[in-house]
Amino acid sequence: MRRPLIGMTSYAEQVQYNGNDVMAGMLPMTYVRAVHAVGGRAVLITPDDPGEDVIESLDGIVFCGGNDIDPAYWGAERHPTTEVDKERDESEIRLMRAALAADLPLLGVCRGLQVMAVVGGGTLHQHLPDVIGHDRHRAAKGTDPLAAGASAYGRHDVIIEHDSIAHRILGAHATVNSFHHQAVDDPGSFTATGWCPDDRVIEIIEDPAYSFALGVQWHPERTADLRVFAALIEAAARRSGLQPEAFAA
Amino acid sequence: MRPIIGITTYVDQATWGVWRDLPTTFVPHDYVEAVTQAGGRPVLIPPHEDVDVLRVLDGLVLAGGPDVSPELYGAEPEPLTVTRPDRDRAEILLVRRALDMDVPVLGVCRGMQLLVVAAGGTLHQHLPDVLGHERHRPAPAVYGEHDASFVPGSRIAGLMGDDLAIRCFHHQGVADAGKLTVTGRAEDGLPEAVEDPGHKFVLGVQWHPEVVRDERLFGALVAAAAK
Repeated sequence: MRRPLIGMTSYAEQVQYNGNDVMAGMLPMTYVRAVHAVGGRAVLITPDDPGEDVIESLDGIVFCGGNDIDPAYWGAERHPTTEVDKERDESEIRLMRAALAADLPLLGVCRGLQVMAVVGGGTLHQHLPDVIGHDRHRAAKGTDPLAAGASAYGRHDVIIEHDSIAHRILGAHATVNSFHHQAVDDPGSFTATGWCPDDRVIEIIEDPAYSFALGVQWHPERTADLRVFAALIEAAARRSGLQPEAFAA
Repeated sequence: MRPIIGITTYVDQATWGVWRDLPTTFVPHDYVEAVTQAGGRPVLIPPHEDVDVLRVLDGLVLAGGPDVSPELYGAEPEPLTVTRPDRDRAEILLVRRALDMDVPVLGVCRGMQLLVVAAGGTLHQHLPDVLGHERHRPAPAVYGEHDASFVPGSRIAGLMGDDLAIRCFHHQGVADAGKLTVTGRAEDGLPEAVEDPGHKFVLGVQWHPEVVRDERLFGALVAAAAK
């Protein structure tokens, strides 16, 4: 049985490797490995050409992390710290609308969750320290907040609503890493089902009306806990008539 | 719906934004733009043993990259050969399945060499040792520019027309093209283009057409993919 094919939104960035310096279509391997580890097959969707025709070939889609979304999408002025990527905004918003219309199983990670809120007609906080008075949702550059001995900076708990998709996947509580300075204010048509208990920052949004539509504010792909990726793959397999028991973990 | 064109990718430690030496999968954006401008819908294909992805691909670009593992053509690695065995294992499976399924394939640089190896051919592991000059890779980040000559009547001759200028950046080259036909050569005789007339579209070029978004080649791939 074939692996469910999972599209992953990707970056167009200047990268340096082995003494080379090139503009590249790219994605951290953590995302690719996460999808492969739970039985999926990852392909990368580049942001250069906003079109949704690629949706028809996929069994599921992950909207990955990245820069801030242009606040013009929800009618707000740009905060001084907001760094937008207009090309990704345009292509990902179109792709997400098409994915939802096709009921393609969908997982949003960090920026991806924020794209969900914006597509759902909601709004974002543009700079969390202005709202909650601290910057503990943004781990220091290049650190792993979940590593043994790491400081609590960038690591926090999430409490999860009963009777939610997130609760069925993760239970009532999770400890997560955190790499963001923006967050969901109003989730729009989606429902918030997980929060950071210290400051009520929204950490999970979902919509049970779809076969699978879940967004998380943290980065599960950088951890050993890949349950939300596994849930996406299960939904993708179910939608496409594939047999989940055939997947190697 | 536009034809979907898969592009193989690198995996390497990359530095970008705030990140240093993060394992990253990527491909120069030139390839993406070349496919898009030619009317295809690019998706990037990170290396993995799965080849079922070809089910949804109408065409495949084998991108450039590190040297092909000499074990794949029965040779010992030489001192200047730098390989990524994981990528080789995945891509050789992908190429073989693509050829079985007759998916249109354009191989660029390393991708051309991979087509040759899949066809039973062999490579020179360091051209300056064989040719006595460095004109195929003059200096870091500098393309060697020359005119190639193409076999009249071949696919590549028809696509290139009168403009024979090519941009090369490689230190390995084709020694024996195996079952493929050599249809283009540099002035020093090195194979620059290979084809397989037995397939719908199998073309390998040793140079880098993506750098100039060469619609002659990428357009031909997309057209073959659309059929």
